[in-house]
Amino acid sequence: MSLYISSLSFLTGLIFLINGLEAYYNYNCNCLLQLMCLADLEYDYVNPYDSAFRINRVVVPEFALQGALWFLHLVTGHWLMFLICLPYLYYNIKLYRSLHLVDVIEIFNQLPWEKKIRLYKLGYLVILLAYSIFWYGVSKKLLVLISETTRKPNYIISLL
Amino acid sequence: MIHLRREERFFEKMGTEYPSSPAIPSRPASPFSVPQSSTPFKSSGPVVGPEASAFRHAPPSSTQITPPSSSSGSMVGTEASAFRTIPSGMPNGAARPPPTSGFPNMPPAAGPYQPFPAPQFSSIAQVPPPRTSLAGQPVLWPPVRPVSGSFSTSPVSLNPTQPTPVQMGSPPQSGSMVQPDIVAPRSPIDSQFSAARATMQQSSPTAGSVYPVARPSFQSSFPGYISQQTTAGAQAQPRQSLAFPPQPGGYVPPMPAASSPYFAQQGCYAAPPSVASQLGHPREQIRHPGSTHPMAVMQGLVEDFSSFSIGSVPGSFDSGLDSKVLPRPLEGDLERNTLSEMFPLNCSSRYLRLTTSGIPNSQSLASRWHLPLGAVVCPLAEAPNGEEVPVVNFAQTGIIRCKRCRTYVNPYVTFTDSGRKWRCNSCALLNDVPGEYFAHLDARGRRIDLDQRPELTKGSVEFIAPTDYMVRPPMPPLYFFLIDVSVSAVRSGMLEVVAQTIKSCLDNLPGFPRTQIGFITYDSTLHFYNMKSSLNQPQMMVMSDLDDVFIPLPDDLLVNLSESRTVVDAFLDSFPSMFQENTNVESAFGPALRAAFMVMSQLGGKLLIFQHSLPSLGVGRLRLRGDDIRVYGTDKEHILRIPEDPFYKQMAADFTKNQVAVNLYGFSDKYTDLATLGTLAKYTGGQVYYYPSFQAAVHKDKLCHELARDLTRETAWESVMRIRCGKGVRFTTYHGNFMLRSTDLIALPAVDCDKAYAMQLSLEETLLTSQTVYFQVALLYTSSSGERRIRVHTAAAPVVADLGEMYRMADTGAIISLFTRLAIEKTLTSKLEEARNSVQLRIVKALREYRNLHAVQHRLGGRMIYPESLKCLPLYGLALCKSIALRGGYADAQPDERCAAGYTMMALPVKKMLKLLYPQLIRIDEYLLKKTSLAEDSKDKDIWKGLPLAAGSLDPQGLYLYDDGFRFVLWFGSMLSPDRVKNLLGENFAADYSKVSLREQDNEISRNLMGLLNKYRESDSSYYQLSYLVRQGEKPREGYFLLTNLIEDPVGGANGYLDWIMQLHRQVQQNA
Repeated sequence: MSLYISSLSFLTGLIFLINGLEAYYNYNCNCLLQLMCLADLEYDYVNPYDSAFRINRVVVPEFALQGALWFLHLVTGHWLMFLICLPYLYYNIKLYRSLHLVDVIEIFNQLPWEKKIRLYKLGYLVILLAYSIFWYGVSKKLLVLISETTRKPNYIISLL
Repeated sequence: MIHLRREERFFEKMGTEYPSSPAIPSRPASPFSVPQSSTPFKSSGPVVGPEASAFRHAPPSSTQITPPSSSSGSMVGTEASAFRTIPSGMPNGAARPPPTSGFPNMPPAAGPYQPFPAPQFSSIAQVPPPRTSLAGQPVLWPPVRPVSGSFSTSPVSLNPTQPTPVQMGSPPQSGSMVQPDIVAPRSPIDSQFSAARATMQQSSPTAGSVYPVARPSFQSSFPGYISQQTTAGAQAQPRQSLAFPPQPGGYVPPMPAASSPYFAQQGCYAAPPSVASQLGHPREQIRHPGSTHPMAVMQGLVEDFSSFSIGSVPGSFDSGLDSKVLPRPLEGDLERNTLSEMFPLNCSSRYLRLTTSGIPNSQSLASRWHLPLGAVVCPLAEAPNGEEVPVVNFAQTGIIRCKRCRTYVNPYVTFTDSGRKWRCNSCALLNDVPGEYFAHLDARGRRIDLDQRPELTKGSVEFIAPTDYMVRPPMPPLYFFLIDVSVSAVRSGMLEVVAQTIKSCLDNLPGFPRTQIGFITYDSTLHFYNMKSSLNQPQMMVMSDLDDVFIPLPDDLLVNLSESRTVVDAFLDSFPSMFQENTNVESAFGPALRAAFMVMSQLGGKLLIFQHSLPSLGVGRLRLRGDDIRVYGTDKEHILRIPEDPFYKQMAADFTKNQVAVNLYGFSDKYTDLATLGTLAKYTGGQVYYYPSFQAAVHKDKLCHELARDLTRETAWESVMRIRCGKGVRFTTYHGNFMLRSTDLIALPAVDCDKAYAMQLSLEETLLTSQTVYFQVALLYTSSSGERRIRVHTAAAPVVADLGEMYRMADTGAIISLFTRLAIEKTLTSKLEEARNSVQLRIVKALREYRNLHAVQHRLGGRMIYPESLKCLPLYGLALCKSIALRGGYADAQPDERCAAGYTMMALPVKKMLKLLYPQLIRIDEYLLKKTSLAEDSKDKDIWKGLPLAAGSLDPQGLYLYDDGFRFVLWFGSMLSPDRVKNLLGENFAADYSKVSLREQDNEISRNLMGLLNKYRESDSSYYQLSYLVRQGEKPREGYFLLTNLIEDPVGGANGYLDWIMQLHRQVQQNA
C-alpha cells in the first residue's frame, strides 16, 4: 500500500517535473536573453534605449515564472527544490520592491553589476536544471524499479 | 532610435578613399586657415629644437628635470637659500647623545632629532637642468653652501660610459628627428642622464623593484654611511668627507657652521621653512645610489617630497606644529606644466588634465596609486585671444583617421615611406596617406608642408566634418522657454527679470538667421503661444486637460526668431504683466514638460525651465518629501538626494535621445525637490541654477548675467564626445552631467565652455609595453553657425614604472575634481558621512603609500611627508568635505541647496572647482585707499595674494573680500572706521546690512571697490558673483555667509585644518 502511494506521488511528481523542466528551460532562455542584450550593449551593437526596453520587457515574466515554480515545488512537496528556490525568490522579491527594471540612463554604469547578477542567476538555474534532469532520470529508473517490484498486474488491478 | 545607431557608426566612420593625385593638396579655403599659414611653424630651424626634444623626451627620463628646470634663473637663489636653512639639524646632530637602539623608530626621547629636516643621506636636488649641466655643476649653488649631513654628487660623476639610447620613446622619429646640432647644447651629461634613466625604467619594470635595487647598491658603495646614521652624529662629518672624496666635477660639502639659529626651533616644525613651503619651491632630494651596476647607476631618483614635522610625543603635538607652515594654495591654481614641457605638442591643460601625467606601466603599480587615475576634460574651454583652436577642412580627402583605432591625425603621427604612409601613434598601424594629402618628406623625415598643417603641429584642432558625420542636416540653434507663472513666481518678480533678459539677448543669440525660439508658460493650465510671423500679437492658447497633452498647433509654437522677431518682442513685453494678477498656486510642471518635449522633439535644442514651486499637478507631481532630521545618519538618508519619480529620469532619457538639453533655474525659498528636477539637467548635459528665495530686487543682476551667458555663450549642439587612448589603457567610468550612449560615447545635446567631464581609466593589460600613452578627445558637434565639426584634442603622457614618478607628476586640481565628482555620486547611494570618509580614506591611503615609499630610505620619524605636487591635496580634501554638497548633516544645508551644489559641482571645470573649494580671501581696505589705478596694481601681486581661510586672518580694522567664484562676501571689521564704511555704503551705512545693496558712491574708494569687483567678475564670467555685505559680529549672517566657509577653522564639529592634518597624519602612521 505504502509502496503504491509512493509510486503515485512519484508519478505526479514526474508530470510536474516534466513541466518544470520546460519551465526551467524557458527560464534559462529568459536569463540568457537578458545577458545577450547586455553584451550587445557593451559591444555597441544596440543602443541603450532598445536594450533597456528588451530587457525590461522580460524582467517581470522572469520573476513570475520563478515564483510559479517555487509554488509548484511547494505544492508537490519537493522540499529540497523548494528550499533551493527560496533564496532566489527572496532576492527577486527584494529587487522587485526597490528597482527591478534596468534604468536606461544609468545602464552603462550598472552594466557590470547587472551582468554579474544575471550570470549568477544563470549559473543557479543551470544547476537547478541539471538537478531536475537528474531527478527526472532517477525517478524514471525508480518507476521501472517500482513496476518491476509490482510486476503482478492483478495486484494493481485489484487495488484499482 | 535608428538615427542614434547611425550616428554612432558615423562617428566611427573614417575618411573614404579618394583617387590619389600626386599633387600637394592646396590649402583648404577656410577663412581660419589663412592666418595659420603665417604663424609660428614657418621657421624651420627653431621648430626643430622643441620637436626634437619632444621626441627625445618620450622616455620618462625627462620628468626628472622638470620641476627645477621650469624655474627661471632666480630660482637658483631661492633654492639655495632654502637649502641653506635646511641643514640646521646637523649642528644639533653634533651635539646629539650617542644613539639608542630605538633610534630609527623615533621614540619620544628622540626629540632632539626632530630638527633634522632633511633625511641624512639624501642630498640636495641635483638633477641637472639643461642650463646647469652646461655650465657645470658649481654654478648652481653659491660657492659657500653650508650643506651638511648630506653629500652631493654632481651629474658629471654619473657613469660616462653609459650608452645613450635616447630614442627609446618613439623609435620611428628619433633617428631622423634628433639633430646633432640640437643635441649639442644639451650637454652630453644630460643626455646620458636621461638615457640611463630610460634604461633604468626598462630594467625595472615594476615599481617596487626600483628601490630594492637602489638601496643595496647605495649601501655597498658608501659602506660607512648607513652605520654613520646610527652612530653618533658627531662622527658624521669627518667620515662623510672621507667616504666621499670629491668626484670629478663634484665638490666636498664644507663643514657647516657649528650651530644654527634653528636650533631654537627644536620641537617645532623643522622641515622646509615656512617660506619655502609656502612659496612652493620644491625641496629636491636625490638619492644617489652610486652603484656601479651599468643599469642602475644613474637612477638618481629625484624625490621632491616636502614635509613638516609633527611632534612625535603623543599628546603634545598640538604645540608641535605651527599652522602657518601648512601648505595653502594662496596663489590660486597650482597647475604644473611639466607635461606640456615634455610634450609641447600636447593640447593645452585647459582642455585636458590628467590626474597624474605619469601613466603606471603595470596593474600592480596602478593599484598602489590610491588616488583616482583619470582625466578631466573641458572640450570647449574658452581660449584666450590668439590661442583659438584652428579649423581644418579636409574637403577633398575626408578626415584622415587610423583605419584600426579610429584615431584622428595628430601631431604625434609619423610619416614614412617617403610620405606615402603614416603610422598611427596609438596603435602603430601603417595607414596610407590619401593622394590629396600627400607631401614629400624632408631630410629629417618631416613633411615639407608641416607649417601649413595645423593638425600636425597643434594639439587642438577642429575638423570640418563631411556629411558622413551627419545623420540629419545640422540643426539650428533652438531655445525653448518653459516658464512657471504661478503666483509665487509672479510675486518674486522673476518674470520681469526673465522677460527683460531674454529680450535683451535676442540680438546676441548665436546662429543669427536660423535661430528658433518658443515659449510655454504654465500654472494649473498650460499656455501655448502662437508666434507666427504674420501675426502682430502672439496668440495664447490655454490647455487645461493635463492628462492628455497635445500640441495645439504643429508648426507655429516654435518659430524662426528673425522672421517672428516683432511677435516675440511683443510677447516678452506683455507677458509679465499678463500674469500680474494671477493667483493660481498650482504648477503643472510634468504636463508642461511633455508638451515642450513634443514641440522640440523634431529638432532638439536647449530647454530653459524657470520653476518656482513644487510640481503639484498632473504627471510627475512631487510631494513635499521634507527634510526629516531623523533620516540623517540612517541608511535612508541618501533617498532625499535621489530622484523620487521615475518620470523625470525617463523624460531625461527621451530628451537626450532627441538632442534636447535642459537647463533648470530654481527660485523657490521652499522645498522644490531639486534632487528630482535636477535629473533633467544632469542627464541631458545641462546645468542647474539655483537662486534660493529669489527676490528681483536682490538677485536681479545675478539672474540677468547668468541667463544672458547661458543664452549667448558659444554652444555646441547635438554633440557626442569620445576619448580614446592607446592600447592597454581604457577609460572605464565617466562622471559629470551627461548620458552615456555607449560604453565610451558621451551624449551631449548641448555643451559649452563651462562644462567639464571627468573620467577614470584603468589598465587592461598587466604590463604596458609602450613608453607613451596618447589620449585623444574627440567632440563631434554642430556649431551654432550650422557646421558639423569635430574638435580633437591630443595629448601624450609618459608611461612610468615608478610610483614616485607618478606622485611627482600628479595634478592636484584634476585629482580634486575627480574626488568631488566621486564623492557627490557617493552621496546618492550612501550617507554624507560615508562620502566624506571615503575622501579622507583615499587621501590617507595615498599619503601612506608615499610614506612607505620613502620610509625605507629616510628616517621620517614623526614627520608628515607628502609630494610637492600634492601639497594642497589634504587642504582641498578638507574643503571638499566642508563644501555645501557634502558638509555636515541635517542643519548645515537645505536639501535643495545641497542638491543644487552637487549638480553644479559635477559640471565645473578644474579652475572653477578649486576656487569654489578654497575661495580667495583678500584684505582690500588698504588697497582701496590707494589712489592708484587697477592696471598698476595688477602688477603688484602682493595685494592679490590670498589669506588663509581662517578667522585668524580677519583683522577687525580691515575690510575683506571673500570670493568663491559664485558670490562675494564683503566683511566689514568692527573697528573699521565709520567714515570709510560711509564712503562705501552711502547714507544707510548703519542700517541692517541684509537690506543694504552695494552701489557705486561718488567717491574714490567706492569707485575703486566697484572697479575691483568688476575686475574679478570679468576674470571669470561663467557665474556672476553677487555681493553680500557682512558686518563683524552680525548674527546669524556673518556665520552663514563667512564663518562657516572659513574652512580652516573648526566649525560645528568639523575639523579645522590643523586637526585635519593631525588626523590624517595619525591615520597615515597607523599602518605605515
